[in-house]
Amino acid sequence: MSQAMTIHLKVWRQSGPDAKGKLVDYRLEDLNEDMSFLEALDVLNEELIKKGEDPVEFDNDCREGICGSCGLMVGGIAHGPMKATAVCQLHMRHYKDGDTIVVEPFRATAFPIIKDLVVDRSAFDRIIAAGGYVSVDTGGAPDANSLPIPKEHVDEAFDFATCIGCGACVASCPNASASLFTGAKVTHLAHLPQGQVERKERVVRMVEQMKAEGFGDCSNHGECEAVCPKQISIAAIAKMRREYLRALFG
Amino acid sequence: MTLEAHVPSGPIAEKWQNYLDRAKLVNPANKRKHDILVVGTGLAGGSAAATLAELGYNVKVFCIQDSPRRAHSIAAQGGINAAKNYPNDGDTVWRLFYDTIKGGDYRAREANVHRLAAVSNHIIDQCVAQGVPFAREYGGLLDNRSFGGAQVSRTFYARGQTGQQLLMGAYQALERQVRTGGVKMFPRREMLELVVVDGQARGIVVRNLVTGELERHAGDAVLLCTGGYGNVYFLSTNAKNSNVTAAWRCHRKGAFFANPCYTQIHPTCIPVSGQYQSKLTLMSESLRNDGRVWVPREAGDTRSPGNIPQDERDYFLERRYPGFGNLVPRDVASRAAKVVCDDGFGVGSTKQAVYLDFEDAIGRLGESGVRERYGNLFEMYERITGENPYRVPMRIYPAVHYTMGGLWVDYRLMSTIPGLFVLGEANFSDHGANRLGASALMQGLADGYFVISSTVGDYIASGGGSGKVDISEAAFDEAAKAAENRIRQLLHVEGDKTVTEFHRELGQIMWNDVGMSRNRKGLRHAIDAIADLRAEYWKNVSVPGRKDTLNKNLEFAGRVADFLELGELMARDALHRDESCGAHFREEYQTEEGEALRRDEEYTYVAAWEFTGDAGSPTLHKETLSFEAVDLSTRSYK
Amino acid sequence: MTPRIKHDKPGLRSALSSSVGKKVLTGVTGFAWAGFVILHMAGNLSYFGAGEAYNEYAHKLLSTGPLLYAVEIVLLICLVIHAILGVNIYLGKRRARKQSYDTYRSAGRPGLQSPSSRTMILTGVVLLVFLAIHLKSFKFGPGIAEGYSLLVDGEPIRDLKRLVTEKFRHPIYAFGYTGVMVLLGFHLRHGVWSALQSLGAMNRRLTPLIYGIAALLAVGIAAGFIVLPLYIYFFAP
Repeated sequence: MSQAMTIHLKVWRQSGPDAKGKLVDYRLEDLNEDMSFLEALDVLNEELIKKGEDPVEFDNDCREGICGSCGLMVGGIAHGPMKATAVCQLHMRHYKDGDTIVVEPFRATAFPIIKDLVVDRSAFDRIIAAGGYVSVDTGGAPDANSLPIPKEHVDEAFDFATCIGCGACVASCPNASASLFTGAKVTHLAHLPQGQVERKERVVRMVEQMKAEGFGDCSNHGECEAVCPKQISIAAIAKMRREYLRALFG
Repeated sequence: MTLEAHVPSGPIAEKWQNYLDRAKLVNPANKRKHDILVVGTGLAGGSAAATLAELGYNVKVFCIQDSPRRAHSIAAQGGINAAKNYPNDGDTVWRLFYDTIKGGDYRAREANVHRLAAVSNHIIDQCVAQGVPFAREYGGLLDNRSFGGAQVSRTFYARGQTGQQLLMGAYQALERQVRTGGVKMFPRREMLELVVVDGQARGIVVRNLVTGELERHAGDAVLLCTGGYGNVYFLSTNAKNSNVTAAWRCHRKGAFFANPCYTQIHPTCIPVSGQYQSKLTLMSESLRNDGRVWVPREAGDTRSPGNIPQDERDYFLERRYPGFGNLVPRDVASRAAKVVCDDGFGVGSTKQAVYLDFEDAIGRLGESGVRERYGNLFEMYERITGENPYRVPMRIYPAVHYTMGGLWVDYRLMSTIPGLFVLGEANFSDHGANRLGASALMQGLADGYFVISSTVGDYIASGGGSGKVDISEAAFDEAAKAAENRIRQLLHVEGDKTVTEFHRELGQIMWNDVGMSRNRKGLRHAIDAIADLRAEYWKNVSVPGRKDTLNKNLEFAGRVADFLELGELMARDALHRDESCGAHFREEYQTEEGEALRRDEEYTYVAAWEFTGDAGSPTLHKETLSFEAVDLSTRSYK
Repeated sequence: MTPRIKHDKPGLRSALSSSVGKKVLTGVTGFAWAGFVILHMAGNLSYFGAGEAYNEYAHKLLSTGPLLYAVEIVLLICLVIHAILGVNIYLGKRRARKQSYDTYRSAGRPGLQSPSSRTMILTGVVLLVFLAIHLKSFKFGPGIAEGYSLLVDGEPIRDLKRLVTEKFRHPIYAFGYTGVMVLLGFHLRHGVWSALQSLGAMNRRLTPLIYGIAALLAVGIAAGFIVLPLYIYFFAP
């Protein structure tokens, strides 16, 4: 049996979108190192409910790192200190007994806080709606093998298609830019023949939408790649810029 | 009431075409006058909503998550089946149909399953056209693999993230319709009531999860695409928010619930490590292609696995099923693991686990060969357990994964409430008593892209959902009031047990008595225990906070309340079915070798339960399954 | 069929003010200055050349006349654009996250966040102020009329070398200049790589290589500038 640990949490509590928030101290005892970080928050919430207090709200769903629902700043890093790991798969064995962990929501003007650690990331949906798709209606598609695609192209496209839309890139970016998210989708589709028809308008519209949502501009810090649970490369951002220039001059 | 499945006439391979030939069509100019409500945005809901909007219908879409892209279809790892026969290994639509019917242990509706196989090829075409990056060969054509013990390679895959990639395809198609105005998207909404007007589904009441407001939406048809109910077990591989509430509210309004006891337990999951455990993580069953499952020969052996010599290991799947070995179907593998653990041979600190060992595979392929095939799964295992599976065998244990049961639907996917259609995992129709690997994605997309577009049109063109209803009508008032009252009640109990504590207790009862193997005594116990727990729930649950803000605990409270009713129905269904079939294993009905004993004369039917106003006394209706195309045989994997 | 959403090419205005356009412009203008800085540094190093190499070089530059003006105008335009965009991006960043984190840490590699990348606005502003002072001291500083002249081939030319030597004998100027050149190095450390990334020239293989080269370049340029004031202050006769 693994050793019980005590952890001090400083958690951002904010009762509503317009309310003033603050960090609140909690002490969690008897945690287990095999727990996930979110399970530690579950423990906190059970204690709060028992006391009749409001539990800490945080988004989460699949708890296996693929749905993109979870997203917290843990100790100042989006999704916490482990590389290639969404916060739902961060485990307490990476902390020491007695550690203090600050937990804050993803902060960006384009991600307004709803409550506590829950933010509204619908701006991402609107960026996709602006052009992050191939316009093929259901029904008319030709046989799937009528379009051979070099394996390397698909593999490359895939690396950028793995984005889970969690928003860590925005949260960790000193400028709160959504360039990695947008670039990943642009790159995924630009690498595939299916994406060629709408290649130009796609990148232009998505880049415009990114601005309309109030995200900052990218200053090439590359922090987004470092926190991305899917390790999406900032090559996506360079590619997005090439695609944009191509749309402009090509 | 007799259950009319509306299966079209003709030989099985022509039924769907016959249906399409005769289905009534809605005039293109009139489609925009019809509002369709789609609840849920997984593969079924996302694809249905996009497709209907493309056709010109006015579609309103609702999901409980912050974005339609989060639906739990996203977590599917392995792949999607289709009868393309690209590898030229002899696959046909018939064979895919036959394997699915047989895999479901002859408890699915033949015509539906054949249609599923027949449209499977179009799904792949559609997804590729959308830009889904399926795995390819070096020549540029699509790659296939054999999955879950299938004799042919018919599974299309995108690394270990097939569900994610397919869902992104559907989600992007959906967002495209959001932009054109064909779809109006309502995220963070939970459906709490179905509104029935003059016997037809005409609207829903949803709770805005941010403001707590109860919103009313009217439409000409309602599509329920809300997934499965595996979370009734508390621990499952389902996402935390997966729930039965939308389906259960429809059940209470008159939609029959079919085969609720058919629950798939997936053999390769990471075992429970403690009381705090919040969910279980599945690892693709492709691991069984190269991993060997074993336990020590001696019960209670506490030596570390490396110190147990070969001749003191029991490779129990290979021993019991020499033909299929480690690749037996999910239900068979899961049950075998449970048996050895129940007999005391389990490993790890909880003794509720068996080894999945890659030592041989590493010897054969080298560590890099194994890494190439399963690298991401090994990383995931290590991330969660802190153990390196290249050095020590993985520990695995079965976990609840998929529910084959669901709301009863006819051939058109319409429930017993006209105008209420049910798609994907939320319905019962295609997988019988056990689902084959890589078939769930296929069904969700078949329903959403290719079936519903015709059947909803047929319903509307035949006069369904005609005449406008207004959200101020009495039926909406009643539904909203019912939802409001339930929320108020939950907040006012002010007891001293948390929702999670109740949920965990329910899960324990379900797992012990309505889990991998069931018996009369246990099921009777479960029925009583759940009824008691439900009564206690409404007296002693504690739900702090308010209803007019985001309050996830309140959301969960409503869902657990519904699970507490569903759980009892599952136990009743399992108790009434005096046979073993597929994932439903009744200890009283097994062969001398301990294999499932089906009783076709008595139980070749779909059990469709009607809600009668009291969770304790549902009425059973039977849809007899007649098999014209296949002969019923006994599954054997020896 | 779903109607196609019409979308024309963006106008130049909206393209330039887009998040991509801004960075492309920042990159291009930054490059122009980086090029100038390298030439300038080479010019500085001719101080150590034989005879009147330094003054002759300066004189030659001046005698190109219209070409020099053209280059100066281009550089001025680039500077204005670069500075305006830099400030614009900085203000945009403040708007994009109104409330900052209580605790924020970089996750490290493969991220490229560094003291250099974080201080671009600061080093940029310092460089701008420095540039004004620098131009006043040298370009618009005392010339032939003020007696800083010497005869080369019987023709009076400006004795810039004397001016430079005098200036850098002064500790404030010598060390101020040195300090600013360190900041220039910082600015270039992120700037050179960033400009290439902004122009879309990078990919997964190139980035680590170019990022490394950018560091060498930045150190080289800063060092190239710094040797002059330090030499003069400590060693010049």
